[in-house]
Amino acid sequence: MSQTITIDPVTRLEGHGKVTIQLNSKGEVEDAHFHVTQVRGFEKFSEGRPFYEMPGLMARICGICPVSHLVASAKACEAIMSVRIPHTAAQLRRMLNLAQMVQSHALSFFHLSSPDLLLGMDADPATRHIFGVAAARPELGRAGIGLRRFGQHIIELLGRKRIHSGWVIPGGVTEPLSSAHRDEILAMIPEAYANLKLALTAYKQIASNFQQEIEVFANFPSHYLGLINEDESIEFTDGALRFIDPQGEIVEDDITANHFSEVFGEAAESYSYTKFVYYKPLGYPQGCYRVGPLARLNIVKQMGTPLADKELAEFKQIAEGPVESSFHYHHARLIEALYGIEKIERILADPLILDTHVRASAGVNRLEGAGQIEAPRGTLVHNYKVDENGKIVWANLVVATGHNNRAMDRGVLQASKAYVKDGKFTEGALNRVEAVVRTFDPCLSCSTHAFGQMPLVLSLVSSNGEVLDRLVR
Amino acid sequence: MTALTVRCLVLACGNTVRGDDGVGPWLAQWAAERFEREPAVRVLASHQWTPDVAEDLAQAESAIFIDCAIDSDPGAVRVLPVAPASSVEALATHHVGAPELLALARDFYGAHPAQALLLTVGAGSTTFGETFSLAVTGALPAACRLLEDTILRLAGHPARR
Repeated sequence: MSQTITIDPVTRLEGHGKVTIQLNSKGEVEDAHFHVTQVRGFEKFSEGRPFYEMPGLMARICGICPVSHLVASAKACEAIMSVRIPHTAAQLRRMLNLAQMVQSHALSFFHLSSPDLLLGMDADPATRHIFGVAAARPELGRAGIGLRRFGQHIIELLGRKRIHSGWVIPGGVTEPLSSAHRDEILAMIPEAYANLKLALTAYKQIASNFQQEIEVFANFPSHYLGLINEDESIEFTDGALRFIDPQGEIVEDDITANHFSEVFGEAAESYSYTKFVYYKPLGYPQGCYRVGPLARLNIVKQMGTPLADKELAEFKQIAEGPVESSFHYHHARLIEALYGIEKIERILADPLILDTHVRASAGVNRLEGAGQIEAPRGTLVHNYKVDENGKIVWANLVVATGHNNRAMDRGVLQASKAYVKDGKFTEGALNRVEAVVRTFDPCLSCSTHAFGQMPLVLSLVSSNGEVLDRLVR
Repeated sequence: MTALTVRCLVLACGNTVRGDDGVGPWLAQWAAERFEREPAVRVLASHQWTPDVAEDLAQAESAIFIDCAIDSDPGAVRVLPVAPASSVEALATHHVGAPELLALARDFYGAHPAQALLLTVGAGSTTFGETFSLAVTGALPAACRLLEDTILRLAGHPARR
């Protein structure tokens, strides 16, 4: 008699998802899936809109990473316009994207994952949240809030709003940076460094406590995809994509946004609304891979800033080739946040950063355009087709969670096999299965959230529908 | 970033495209304009309250939270005292209530406002839209007066006559 365990919803994620674990008649885990249970429809209802409205529309997809969609969308529009934006506008957008990365990584590490990391996977769920962190390590809680504020305040200073800013437009940005705002950002940087150092130190102290989780948290060979610069340093806003194999060898390089759909395909599964992206030459599902902080650090040879480069060198000591366990996403996230602070400081030292020429203009010069960037969670691609009047006739978004979808499935299965034994599960086992998904920090559909407290119900159901066991929190 | 200590921090939340749920941000905007020249008053409005505002709360002498209420009669305006939560069994990371925010300020920063109040306006409709129900529209003058008097009192000024 087969049985199914359902974790619905999975908590401390951006959006709502659920996990099902299928057991065989012996009570052994046979299969497991991570489901994204909402359909959004942004691609469809953008049809008919003028292309220049797209950045503002697309930013509304997400309240956590609206900047990612804003910038990727603007880049797709600029491909349609065939314009190159002014240097200062490119630098300001780069800073905006990095600020979002810092605040998003802080949210993931401190708010969503630090209760597991600091209090333990088996800690009482009644205290395994940010209040528990406040009690155990208040200085780390303050650091998390401080880093979030650092990123969000930069976004607010540049775009006048913390979320859904209209500052990024096709062709550049609407306003230049003022000297007062530049100085205000510079003044925040020392505290950001201090907060990040605190987090990195704490993480390194506790990571060794999680050897078992490191072994089974999506710890398998895979391909990796991410943006990279010509000097093989990390890139979030420009550059081209590199695809590497499980040994770290380059499979394909210089993949531009306009050629993305020639190289990568999207598959659908009946159990999830999120697409499964794969490398076409390898087919589906063999061509699935990982993106995001772990992938980016596996791909690059250097970060390009001194402090982050030192951390990257230490990170790469974890394995001879690519670092495989998704548990290390946490570490990678902190290194990227450190890079973000350093890079923002460097951008502000650009002698042209206060230049007032921040916008290029043009009409429709191509009927199709694509833009790609690195969102905090991984590669994001926007691809649009327009008619001669500039109205959208087709849109396709390839988001980080789609790239990681198969790896999350495999990770859930691997962890389930390790922690669900004899058809029984404990609260700690349940939390570990959820925590695998959290390492990827997937963004499912951030704009839609449950009202009030989200219940978590895990049910063990027999093949004839009988509930054999149930866990509620 | 270190914020200046304020005498009265106004914290509103709500979704401006969900009808009456947007009354919090609307009142916050009204307060921001009314107290524009008053440095002792600081106004913050957001879609949802998140743990990030704990630091702002820790630096405020008093606070008034503004939200719509689904458990009040439509248009009913109430001001109630609010205290830090003593225990929290489950906490969402995307939305935190006023008592939890006060507790976070206390636990993370060792300080919270000496006086905290929650002003609510009963919601008539929270369906999609940027307009308020008739009940809430009719309650706005009273809500503004009550908010103004409350801020003046918390900021240490005599109440409006």
